[in-house]
Amino acid sequence: MRPDPTPSKKNQEKQVNTDTEPLKGTFTSVLLLGAFIVVCWVAVFALFLNRA
Amino acid sequence: MHLHRYEKIWLWLGGAGLAIFITLLAINAFAMGMQPPSDMQMIDPQKVDQTPPFDKPGLKQIGEKEYDAYMTAFAFSYAPSVIEVPVGSKINFHVTSKDVVHGFEIPKTNINFMVVPGHVNSASMTFDKPGEYLILCNEYCGAGHHVMATKIIVK
Repeated sequence: MRPDPTPSKKNQEKQVNTDTEPLKGTFTSVLLLGAFIVVCWVAVFALFLNRA
Repeated sequence: MHLHRYEKIWLWLGGAGLAIFITLLAINAFAMGMQPPSDMQMIDPQKVDQTPPFDKPGLKQIGEKEYDAYMTAFAFSYAPSVIEVPVGSKINFHVTSKDVVHGFEIPKTNINFMVVPGHVNSASMTFDKPGEYLILCNEYCGAGHHVMATKIIVK
């Protein structure tokens, strides 16, 4: 059986507008994780400078 | 390519972070002189005892309050066994190993490096507070690793 070259109705339905996707939670998590990494790094670097 | 507005924000934040880290690295290396503890000076690890200045490990005064400490690390101790300097002295440590990889750490300071056989490993530190400073091995080097230590007395 040859595959159908035209997109099926099911696939068309999957295409959604990404700007309306709820990424707020993802955004907050990314910023929180980033802030945690920055705080850890600053703390270690401050310790290093303090002892230099 | 279409990107969500939030994705653009965190990509820019990530890019800015990368730029900041590279800038800080350059400032550390070129303006503050922070270098890795090996100056690429090589030594034959089997002839450490015959190679000056490591044939006579010890302190060498090079300034009013500055010393070069030539030290050897071996299973399971360091030479010289005790170092004594006045308060405010700067010690430039030059350490090499006679056998396996050892560690050289002065706890609660920035001095912490590996002593790799065949290399002369260096680090500097100014001792502004009097007291006894422990030097210990933090690379497992054999059965007596846990007793491998020496001290610096700052008076």
